Amino acid sequence: MISSRLDRTLTYAVLVLFVVIALVPVLQIVSTALSSNEHAQPGLLLPDGLHWHNFVEAWQRGHFGTYLRSSVIVTVVVVVAAAVLSTTAAYAFGTMRFPGVSVLFYLFLLGLTVPEEALVIPLYYDFRGLGLTDTYWALILPQTAQSVAFGTYWMRTYFSRSSREITEAARIDGASTWSILWRVLVPSGRPAITTLVVITFMWTWNEFLLALVMVSSDARRTVPLGLAFFQGQHSSDVALLAAGAVLVALPVVVVYLVFQRRFIEGMLSGAVKE
Amino acid sequence: MTTTAPRPPRRSLPYRALAAAAVCGALALSACSAPGSGSSTQPRTKSASGISTDPAKAGKVTLSVWDQEVRGGQNAEITQLNKEFQAKYPNVTIKRTSKSFSDLKTTLKLALSGNNPPDVVEANQGYPDMVTFVKAGMLLPLDSYAQAYGWAKRYPSSLLALNRVSADASHFGEGRLYGLSQMGEYIGVYYNKAKLDRLGLAAPTSWSELTADLAKAKAKGELPIQFGNLDKWPAIHTFGVIQAATAGKQEVRNLVFGTGGAKWTSASTVQAATTLQDWARKGYFPSGVNGIGYDDANKQFAQGKGVFDITGTWEAAALKGPMGSSLGLMPTPPSSKGLATTGGESLAFSVTSKSKTPDVAAAYIDFITDAHAADVMLRTGNLPAVPGKAVGKLSSSSIEGQMVAGWQKISSADGLVPYLDYSTPTFYDTITAALQNLIGGKATPQQFTQTLQADYSKFHQG
Amino acid sequence: MADRVRAAYRRRAPGEPRALGYLYIAPALVVFVAMVIVPLGQSVWYSLFSWDGLSVATWVGLGNYGALFSDPTLRGPFLHALVLLVFYSLLPIALGLLLAAAMSRVRLRGLTFFRTVLFLPQVLAMVVVAVTWRWIYAPSGLLNEALRLVGLGGLAHSWLGDFTLALPAIGVAGTWVGFGLCMVLFLAGVQSIPRERYEAARLDGAGPWQEFKAVTLPALRPQIAVAATLTIVAGLRNFDLIYLTTAGGPGNSTAVPAYEVYHRAFEIGQVGSAAAVGIGLTVLIFLLTVVVSRLVEGTQ
Repeated sequence: MISSRLDRTLTYAVLVLFVVIALVPVLQIVSTALSSNEHAQPGLLLPDGLHWHNFVEAWQRGHFGTYLRSSVIVTVVVVVAAAVLSTTAAYAFGTMRFPGVSVLFYLFLLGLTVPEEALVIPLYYDFRGLGLTDTYWALILPQTAQSVAFGTYWMRTYFSRSSREITEAARIDGASTWSILWRVLVPSGRPAITTLVVITFMWTWNEFLLALVMVSSDARRTVPLGLAFFQGQHSSDVALLAAGAVLVALPVVVVYLVFQRRFIEGMLSGAVKE
Repeated sequence: MTTTAPRPPRRSLPYRALAAAAVCGALALSACSAPGSGSSTQPRTKSASGISTDPAKAGKVTLSVWDQEVRGGQNAEITQLNKEFQAKYPNVTIKRTSKSFSDLKTTLKLALSGNNPPDVVEANQGYPDMVTFVKAGMLLPLDSYAQAYGWAKRYPSSLLALNRVSADASHFGEGRLYGLSQMGEYIGVYYNKAKLDRLGLAAPTSWSELTADLAKAKAKGELPIQFGNLDKWPAIHTFGVIQAATAGKQEVRNLVFGTGGAKWTSASTVQAATTLQDWARKGYFPSGVNGIGYDDANKQFAQGKGVFDITGTWEAAALKGPMGSSLGLMPTPPSSKGLATTGGESLAFSVTSKSKTPDVAAAYIDFITDAHAADVMLRTGNLPAVPGKAVGKLSSSSIEGQMVAGWQKISSADGLVPYLDYSTPTFYDTITAALQNLIGGKATPQQFTQTLQADYSKFHQG
Repeated sequence: MADRVRAAYRRRAPGEPRALGYLYIAPALVVFVAMVIVPLGQSVWYSLFSWDGLSVATWVGLGNYGALFSDPTLRGPFLHALVLLVFYSLLPIALGLLLAAAMSRVRLRGLTFFRTVLFLPQVLAMVVVAVTWRWIYAPSGLLNEALRLVGLGGLAHSWLGDFTLALPAIGVAGTWVGFGLCMVLFLAGVQSIPRERYEAARLDGAGPWQEFKAVTLPALRPQIAVAATLTIVAGLRNFDLIYLTTAGGPGNSTAVPAYEVYHRAFEIGQVGSAAAVGIGLTVLIFLLTVVVSRLVEGTQ
């Protein structure tokens, strides 16, 4: 009994230690973002008051309003397109049999191991040839494709487990495959789809390399890139930079906190995006 | 919850055949021709008679401009001039994108070769940037505009030459004009007067005095030189100044312009590398100098850490704020080889060849470099390439006064040597990495110069 | 082997033959092939040329791949990537296992809180991670101040400017991003191990170490495979953090393949070589994921 109590204390101590490690770098940013610029310096310190105007200033000087708009457009389109495309594809992979079905599925699986670095060079020259660099398309299409690889893999697991009786019953009632998908399977698969949406959201929101290569104008720059250039210009305005970092991280953190259960489950289930 | 990792496909014949088919399909799309064989863009050139110098007649125009004027004084100057230009020509809207030097440098090539390049960009001179862009037909030759606006009268030919690239894009320093720079700049020695006083020293008047002062400062527990090289490029300037002092201006010019068969492995360049490494080893720089950001280092200097700060005139406005009258600036003091320091002019404002409104773009460049612009620059603490009338009003003890006096002194002594990274298309990379190695004690001065020479001979033979 | 897989697949997929399936797959397949498979093929094609991205390329065959082994400025990044894997993959997994072992002996309250917080670094954009770790490693940053506070000021360093320490320093930032993922994963795994197994082991007189080896570790094998795959892929795709902290410096001591791809293709005009690095990286990721899944399968 004594050893068990010791075990318990020790375990909590270890957990708390790691919680501190996980939080300190985050707190550093938040506390710096709230400090006045004179007071702020890299490090962990109590803010000298709550200087919310840092956020206002970062918002204006860093054009974060524009960048957020770009990020929202790109993310919403990618998330919706990837969800729809991978749901329909996974539906076929999970519930239908036809020649080549496993070959095609393995092709999608292959896409999970291909890193973006191996694609970005041809993608750049292809889009340039089509006159599409510095457009949202150049961010949306490649990211949709990469998310579809994961989404198809993820949703197929759901569809191949879905109850056959329900589908059969619906078919006997004369429902087409199309309405079975949208009326029966998708509504009951909401948890799986939510996870997919949340994960795709995070990947797309945080994407950096593609945005760096494809986008050159300020108007179409996404927030991670905006923060990177903001850092180049204001590396010694510590408080402003921290405020910018908070603005970039906040949307994902909020979505994460709301959906954290789905989020973690998704990541844990063998999610391998290139 | 499933917890199996996705398995890679097993190899078996049908899959292999399919994979082969997929790759073939992909290759068919690139049509089995070598990459790049379809593209060739030659910029159009306009004769002087075909151009308009009045933007007011251009209709509604949006001019997209990329600059790297993000520091205090420079940002103020360009903001002011943009505002005035738009007030003068209400039909023109300027869409400004500003980035730090490093960020501009890493993204400009992509932007220029993209579908939607800006109209006006600030391009760095030399082989890595301007010559490469010209070779690829990305920039518009501005000679007919120079004629129309009389730029040859506005600027000394030596400054225009830096922005010239030969017609076959094989070298720079002569040929067609591809841009105009707003500001002059040189690497100077900033000093903290209060600290010098406390050490019982006066501002050094010669290179040997400067090096002696460094040792004295160190001995008294002061940090001799404030310096941060995490961004990789600042050391080009520090080394450039030392090399100019030990090798003299002619040798450095021969090296950078590729004339006279000069070699980076010469005794004097090895000597310069040895000096830089010595300074690092003796603790003349802050410890861990390769891990300190450039802006952070200058902020530290402004807060009173360090006796000297060897960097460009572009920092004057930012340093003046916190330091006030204890800030001093002079050109690198002359060595036995005479007065010589790294410098030249700021990045060139150039017109892209895809710009739909080259006339307005050129008018903009004319506007931000004329005599009025020079006054605005001076008022905002900058060093205009050609200082105008306002110079007379400067107090000689002010930092601007010292900066301009230094510029005039260097100009009359013909003491400017070009930035070393102009030397070859890959030299920026080579020298920045090599300098971090040299300062960190990872390479001997001999190895350092051999690395530079290897890059250099590869370019000049090939 | 392949037959077995197919047979297993047929058993699992309940559906009936339907040509309609092609229609459902078509839209996803078109986007996927156009944006992933075709560019991958083009990358292979580019990698056989020497090309500056501007003028016409010249054929060099496998020369760019040979250079991956012979050119120290290309070999170096791959070696650095392997060193980083220790920090991105091994260390988080080891930490996760340590915690799992401790946890296996007690029942825990507040699990939701712990996993929410531990997982947090995983969702932050790398740009934000870069900003905060640049500060932590700054000469007067958090790490050095902490060292001075506990009287270890002599150990203070300019972490990102040091030739031997910059790479591990980047690695530790990666460990920070990844350790929560591994822990949360293993926590879930441990919770699902039947208590009886531990009791049985204890009845046999097993100490904590034997218990870990005999019960916890085997049960966590699938989770370890997932953690290894995820962290290896993340570790090798380490572009953002390098680009935003050291840009490969000091010298080239933190250059990694992912950074070289961007640097060579878009900054210094060595597109063919960059494509070869990208393909080399793909092969490396592929091989390592195969090895991981084989290791797990082979011991089951």
